[in-house]
This record gives sequence, structure tokens and C-alpha cells, in this order.
Amino acid sequence: MATPALRLDWQFELLDLRPRRPAPTLVPPPPPVEPGESPALRALRSALEPSIAARVRSAAELLRNASHVVAPPLLPTTLEPLDGLLGGGLPRGRLVELAARRAAGRFSIVLAALASATSMGEAAALVDLGDHFDPQLAEANGIDLRRLLWIRPHTVKEAVMSAEMITATGFQLVVVDAGVHPLRGRRAPDAAWVRLARTAEAHETAMLVSSPYPLTGTASEAVIKGTVARTRWKTAAAAGSPRILAGLDLTLTLEKHRHRRPGARATLKLEVLP
Amino acid sequence: MTRIACFHVPMFPLAARLRSEPDLLQEAVAIVEGNGSNAHVVAATRRARVKGVRAGLSLAQARAILPKLIARVRDAECERTAQEALYDVAESFSPRVEDAGEGVVYVDVTGMDRHYRAADGSVDPELALARAAIRAAEAIGLPARLGIAASKLAARVAAELPKSPNIVEPGKEPEFLAPLPLTRLSPHLEAAGTLRRWGIASIGELATLPESEIASRLGEVGRDLHCAARGIDPRPLIPRPLPPDFREGMELEWPLVALEPFLFIANSALDRLAKRMEIQGFACKRLELTLDLEPDGYYTRAIDLPAPTRDVKTMLTLLRLDLEKTPPGAPVAGFTIVAHPDRPRRAQLSLFGPAALSPEKLATTIARLVSLLGDDRVGMAMAVDGHLPERYAIGDYAPPPPPDARRNPQKSRGLLAARVFRPPIPVEVMTREHDGEIAITAIEGEGDLAGSVRVSSGPWKVESSWWSDAPAAREYWDVELDRGGVYRLYQSEPAASWFVDARYD
Repeated sequence: MATPALRLDWQFELLDLRPRRPAPTLVPPPPPVEPGESPALRALRSALEPSIAARVRSAAELLRNASHVVAPPLLPTTLEPLDGLLGGGLPRGRLVELAARRAAGRFSIVLAALASATSMGEAAALVDLGDHFDPQLAEANGIDLRRLLWIRPHTVKEAVMSAEMITATGFQLVVVDAGVHPLRGRRAPDAAWVRLARTAEAHETAMLVSSPYPLTGTASEAVIKGTVARTRWKTAAAAGSPRILAGLDLTLTLEKHRHRRPGARATLKLEVLP
Repeated sequence: MTRIACFHVPMFPLAARLRSEPDLLQEAVAIVEGNGSNAHVVAATRRARVKGVRAGLSLAQARAILPKLIARVRDAECERTAQEALYDVAESFSPRVEDAGEGVVYVDVTGMDRHYRAADGSVDPELALARAAIRAAEAIGLPARLGIAASKLAARVAAELPKSPNIVEPGKEPEFLAPLPLTRLSPHLEAAGTLRRWGIASIGELATLPESEIASRLGEVGRDLHCAARGIDPRPLIPRPLPPDFREGMELEWPLVALEPFLFIANSALDRLAKRMEIQGFACKRLELTLDLEPDGYYTRAIDLPAPTRDVKTMLTLLRLDLEKTPPGAPVAGFTIVAHPDRPRRAQLSLFGPAALSPEKLATTIARLVSLLGDDRVGMAMAVDGHLPERYAIGDYAPPPPPDARRNPQKSRGLLAARVFRPPIPVEVMTREHDGEIAITAIEGEGDLAGSVRVSSGPWKVESSWWSDAPAAREYWDVELDRGGVYRLYQSEPAASWFVDARYD
């Protein structure tokens, strides 16, 4: 299992598109798109039947249409640094992936998103591949357990199948937590994630995938990478008393986003339950 | 005036068998009764009848006419379930239904015509009702005929006529019956020979004779016959109470030893059950499977569904999993599936709040998830009183209705969560004592759970259930590894073993 993990870390490096690095250019840039209807397009449309011609779009028209696309409604996680990176929260009908190898606050973000959705009275589902969910802790985090469906699959394949079924049922938030490295079972093919993303889009479900390394490929709307900046320990007040874990400071990096510039960073501070 | 509709399925033993084995619809099939040389044909499909196979022929005679004739023994289980299915169809039209057996069911349809009245009055409402009833019966695989009249007798005679449906106008029963032959009143009439000798062939001719003269010559049978000929039927409709459950099943031609062929047959039985429950607006809450084993014995299984559903695929998967887990251990010669009905969950949708989940869809999804993952792998997580962190309980998922208006989300407290490991992972722990203080210096485990410790914090003592047979006394530590990761460890006191039970994440 070590080889793919190393390769994927290397892929992370490739995905780092910060402006200080020159972006590799494989092909010359395309010519500028004409704003109006080009003669070639006009000729093509006149040669086609009207019903088919009405469906033909030039690149310029597609770009113009895309600029008028309404942004999807958002489901806020109420974690301000994360919501800031995503433009306000988890987009409904889209798949967002949160990837972090070691203890980098993934599960805390998952619980915060579930708490936010259930506190709004929405139905949420947690596909818990590693069986890591603690109901007591979740309740302390503010999750309304009555509105949360807890699913404990055995393999990645079962997790994806369960998530698809649940999404098609109409849950407003579906979270797939892939557990810790190494994942249980074989990886799901890219096509499975694309299908899952399309199901989420069809049912306007906000989908969050939390994994130790990127799994969803091109299916995700955004990928956020988490790393631990610092572990905070409280110093003992009295001599002889042990130190106490106070919290974690995390750095969240927007690795990919379809409508926002990647590379943005934010710091998230998590506190231990007093 | 009372209006009674009669459902009649011609050649009922054959229709019931074809409902269970629809693949035989286009074949030359005969239903036979009796064993060995006494086996005789009861009914045959059109393809066999065209070749000359008739009811009453012995099986040998029928095979001599048509060597490729497919013979099926009359199956009481098939007929019983087909009769129940026909009853369910009738009940979807009116709650007052009488089960007359052998493919005949009476329904009180008084006043129902107004539900089928066309706006322009172009179609007779009772005719529209009758056509809807025939379509409903055909949907469950029974080619029923239908007659509507003021009495059970006239309705039955009307239903038995080849051209269906037949509507007898109120008060026109004598005129309707008059041109029909006497055998329509009763196919096995003992007095038929006597009446024929008198020169009476039709019902109308009998009705014109004086009642007292018929009664004096033929007795009580003659009086009843004369009344029937005049369209008088004093028998009231006796409705049957609702059945507590739905049943489907059949006796197999030969015993099955493999699971797949059995599931193929069970699938069609479940499909029929689902359709019947849909007619009544029910869903299945519990399935009971009874297998007749070869050479003798029974095998019974009961499967409780997580929520009422009519999804055939889900029920079949649960059946498959149960049989794979506990096979019957002998060839299967017949089966009965009983579905215990329950009302599907309903919910009022909100206009302004978050969209509610469809209860029926949710129930089906949960049942499918249970069949995919297992009993205790899907549900609502429940907090449990206690002190050990790994405690949890799982219950049935039944979310409350969403609020009427959208609510703002509750502000997150930004709490650090612990990712619980179930079961805890055993590790080796190195400790160091300095000035009376114990510190953990390294842990040795699989994968990421190995390395030197940067910071350790503890111990935190937890003692639980000391009064019970399974007491737990643990010392918890939080450790941060040099390579990254903050873990929660504990040492259980009697065995002094170390385990990692969570990671702060």
C-alpha cells in the first residue's frame, strides 16, 4: 500500500497550482473566441434541421451561457475558514472532497457539517467506512442524532453504493468518510465517483467525501487538503499535573475548484471538548 | 336498488396455474386431476383445445391427440392464492365482497357508478366500472369476466357469458335470462333430463309455467329453479372480513435443490404479493417463508423488514440472504410466502421548510441497505449512558418531520473530534519514569501507529461497572507522535495490555 500513497503525494505536488510556479504548457493557447456567430457556425446551422441546429453551440456561446449560470445554493458548515474557501459552504448538488493523510481535522469537519445540516432540520447521512463514529461525541458537537442516518459499510465499493442509494432517496447532506489509511477494500473506479456526483446533482444533495488521499478524481467540484500546523497542549497549572491536549491548528488548502482560483489557504482552530 | 358485480374466471384451475407460470401462456397446456390411469383433463389452453384436447379426456387420450401436450397437476396452493388475489382486486372496488370460491367473487357495487360517470355522458358508468374491474384483474394475471345485475344469480349468469362485460338493467333480469339455456342456471342440474322430456329448453320457457305445478312435480328443487328462472335470488351478499395477511405459494413439479431456481420462482410470487398489497394500499412489514421439504417436513423462516416496503428486489434479497445463511438442508417441493401487511408511512410535505424524505422511498432504501450490509449496520446512532468511550447503540431510523420554515444553522463550536477505533488496536508501549512521573516514550503498532512519542499526557483513570461481572478499569493517555498524529491510548488494568482506541482528527 505504500507505493500508491507515495505516488499520490507526488500527484499532490503536481496539483499545486500556486502562481509562483510556472504552469506547464503542452499545447499553444487557443485563438480568442469570436463574440458573435461565426460564418462556419452560421453555415453549419443553415445546413442542419432547425430542431438539431437549435442545439448546436459554439464555444463563445457556451462561455456566455456559463457566465449566466446561477451558483448552486450552499449548505454552510459554520466553520468560517472552510466556508470561506468554498465560497460560503458546501454547494448543494455537488461533490466536495476533503483529503488529509494523518490526523488533520477531517472527522471534526465532517461532524461540524452534519451538525449544521441537522440543526437546520435537514436529513443527513453518514457513510462511515471505518466505523469511527461516536454518538456521544456527535451529540456534544450539536448533531441531532434523530435526523442522522448512520451507515457502516465494509468496503469502499459498499460505501459508494450506499451513498448513491441514500442520495437518490433525497437526503440533503450525504457524507462519505473513507476512514484512515489503508482503506478497507479495493478502490472504487473513477466512473463510480462520477456516477455518484451525477446522482448528487440530480437530487440537489450536498456531498462531502472525506478520505486520507484523493479518491474522486474529476468528479469533485472542489478538493480541500488539510494539514496539521500545530498541536496545542495546555501546560499544567500545578506541579506534578500532566499536560492536557487543548486542540489542533489546521491549515486548509483549496487544491481544486471548478469556479474559484485554487491555492487559497485558511487556518482552522479546533478545541478539545471542555 | 342493490347492484352486484360478479367476477368469474373461466377455467379457473388453468388460469391460476398460468398466473404462477406465465411462461406457459403460449404453450399447449392441460391441467389434470387424479393419479395414474385416473388422471383426466380439467382444463386446457386454447392451443391445446384447437387440437381437440377437451375437459374430461384422460391424460392418455389427450397425449394421443397431442403428444407434446404439457400436463400440470391441479395445484391447490396456486388456486387458493389466485382466489385471494381475485378477492383483493374486488376489494379495491368495494369493501363488501363475498368469496364464492373457484374463481368467483361477488362485489356490492351499489352507488359506485357515479365514480365512473363521464362528463359528457358518452359511456354507461356501470360499463366503465366493469371495464376498470376487468383491467384490474388482468393486471394481476387473471383473465376475469364480469357481470353486473341486481342479484347474485343474474350477475353470475351474466359473468359466465362469453362476451364480457355484461350489464343487466335493473328489473330486467327475467328478460335477460329468458333466451338462455337452462344449463346456465346450474350446469349440473339433476332435473335437466325431466325438463328436456317436457320440451323445456330455455329459462324463459320454464319461467312461463305455473310455479305451483313445477313445485308439485319437482319438489323444493323445482320451486327454487322456477324462482331463479324468473330472476329472483333471495340470497344476500355475505361479505368476508379482511384477511390478516397475504399469501402466495405453489407446489413444485419436482423438488429443487439449488437456491437460484427457487429464487426465480420466489421472485414472481413476491411480485404477485407486492401487486396485491398495492391494491389494498399496504406494504410488507414481515415475511414468513414456509418450505415443504422432500420427502417430508417443513422449514419456516420469518424475516422482519426494517420498514414497511413493497419493493420486490429488496424482499428477494432479504430472502436470499436468509436462505444462504440458514439453508433448509433438504430439497424443496413447495413453498408458501406470507406477507404481514402494515400501512406504509405517510408524511405531510412542507411548503417552506426543508424537503421531507418520502417515507416509502426511505423504507425501501433502508431495507435495501440492510440487505446489502447486514442487520446492525444501518440505523440511527443513539447515545448510551456510561463511561467507556466505545459505547454506542443503533436503532430504527425514523426522522421527525422537518420544520415548517427554514432554520439558520447552529454555529459550530469548532470541537476537535475523536475517530474511534472499533475494536481498539493493540500496541506495545515503552514508558520512562522520571522524578516519580511516568511518561510514554514510544509505541509499537501496525502502520501509522508506531514511532517515538513527542508529548504524552495522562493517566486519566476510568472505572466502570465495578459492581457487575464485567468490570472495566482503565488508564487513558493522550500521545502525540513525532511523525504526526495525536492518539488516545488506554491500559486495561487486569491484563495490563495497551490499546489505541481513538485518534484525534
